[in-house]
Amino acid sequence: MFGRKGKKGNYAYTVARVKAKKAGLLKEDAYSKMLMMSLPEISRFISESGYQKEITELTGKYDGVDLIEHATYTNMARLFRGILEASQGELRDMIAADLGRWDAWNLKVILRGRSFGLSADGIKEDLVPAGELDMAHLEKLMGCETDEDVLTMFGKMQKTSIPQDVLSRYKAEGNLSVIEDYLDKYFYEKLLLSIDPSSRPKRLYQDFIRNEIDITNLETILKLKKEGISGEDVLQYVIPGGKQIDRKLATQLANAESVSAMANDLAQLDFFEEIKPALDDTNSLRDIVAALTKYHIKQAKTFSHLYPLSVIPVVDYMIHKENEVNNIRIIARGLDSGLDREVIRGLLVV
Amino acid sequence: MPAQDVTPTRSVLLEVKKKIKLSKSGHKIMKMKRDGLIIEFFEVMEKAKAMRSSVVSDYEQAMEKIAIAIAVEGEIAVKSAAYALKNEPKVNVGSKSIMGMMVPKVDADMSKCTILNKGYGVISTSVYIEEASKAFEKLLVTLVRAAEVETTMKRLLDEIERTKRRVNALEFKVIPELEDAEHFIKFRLEEMDRENTIRLKFLKGKGEAA
Repeated sequence: MFGRKGKKGNYAYTVARVKAKKAGLLKEDAYSKMLMMSLPEISRFISESGYQKEITELTGKYDGVDLIEHATYTNMARLFRGILEASQGELRDMIAADLGRWDAWNLKVILRGRSFGLSADGIKEDLVPAGELDMAHLEKLMGCETDEDVLTMFGKMQKTSIPQDVLSRYKAEGNLSVIEDYLDKYFYEKLLLSIDPSSRPKRLYQDFIRNEIDITNLETILKLKKEGISGEDVLQYVIPGGKQIDRKLATQLANAESVSAMANDLAQLDFFEEIKPALDDTNSLRDIVAALTKYHIKQAKTFSHLYPLSVIPVVDYMIHKENEVNNIRIIARGLDSGLDREVIRGLLVV
Repeated sequence: MPAQDVTPTRSVLLEVKKKIKLSKSGHKIMKMKRDGLIIEFFEVMEKAKAMRSSVVSDYEQAMEKIAIAIAVEGEIAVKSAAYALKNEPKVNVGSKSIMGMMVPKVDADMSKCTILNKGYGVISTSVYIEEASKAFEKLLVTLVRAAEVETTMKRLLDEIERTKRRVNALEFKVIPELEDAEHFIKFRLEEMDRENTIRLKFLKGKGEAA
């Protein structure tokens, strides 16, 4: 059974690997300890907690907080690609679709770097090859002559193509946001399509992703509302497929007069209680977004142990690994820039 | 113009008198200008003080927001978002007149800089990055306005100094010298009048004796 290729996927093998790795994740109290450390102490601490290879490898290239950030990203990318390579069948398809967010991220980094005039080496430093496209593929993308060539090649690698109207709009406006927003929508569309909701764990996973879409949509609507943008201008950025925020609710939220006026419409959502205290026009959106992120991670924890032989433990591990990398970076960057320890603690998602 | 260098003629006397009148009215106007500039300077100084504290608070806020954005999203994400930026802030430089002195009028136009046309995606760009970007836009506008006020203040100081020098020069050098010259010419003309009278009397006496 282990490692055997099958249409349904090698759940037992992949989950066993992932469970072993999950045991190595930092515990909650480790973050409190790290908050009291200096940067060299944090580097040493994380190198003793599974990041040694990357810290040693990158010491010659980076130092201080940059070393911590690049080492944690590199470690995460290797682990995610390791899981992807170990999985097979439908499990692989689902993991690949989930990791597609990193492919989209890397494509954005390449396009942004090119538009700024960065060299290929400069762009390469900022890539996180945690998705289906490894560094060799990404180097091919960087080697393309024009942005259209990059997009065409990316389409070929992903067995899809960027719609002509998106390309025409990008050519006409020269604004990368057209491509970036399309990539984000395409990622969720592909991810939802990769999940066949025929079994309970896959339905749970699908619900989790649809919840993520709701959270992303709410964040987008709030961002645009804060800028005074409403109506159809907001709706074009709403990703279809959300669980609770359907087109009707999205329209109501988009047409609300202010952030605080959205409270009534948001009251029906599961996560309303989490964001209720922060729903105020005078408040920063950061508080709402932080509450939503914490809610999303909490959701993952609630069902992670329910179906041991499914995609759920794998996704749960990937979420927690990414969260660990984010938390380490928050502490390191926060301490480096002199942020108050209580502010840093507030930014952590534990 | 030392008094001894003046030709003591009636036409020069008229010219010197004209100059004295002009210098005195110039002195009066200059003094008024100096006082006006000082009043203006104190007003601008209050503005500059307020602008400096705005710059400090906006800078602190922007730095805190960028620190949080870098911590939460990572330097790579923040750097990448910065690379995508398309809209450069527009700075309009003009000039205005304060008591005849030209000072710069600078405006930073960020009105067209919305989340929709910044260059990065609306969906994926985090609130942390967006808030940091907004904070820096605000800081830029404040800095540009502060630059205008500070430059105005420096120009006003230079102008006050220059006007003060002119007032002093008129009051203690030009006008006294002109008055000395007037006095000298008047004295010389009177002297010449007396000489003429004596000469005429002498000639008259000589004629009567002959």
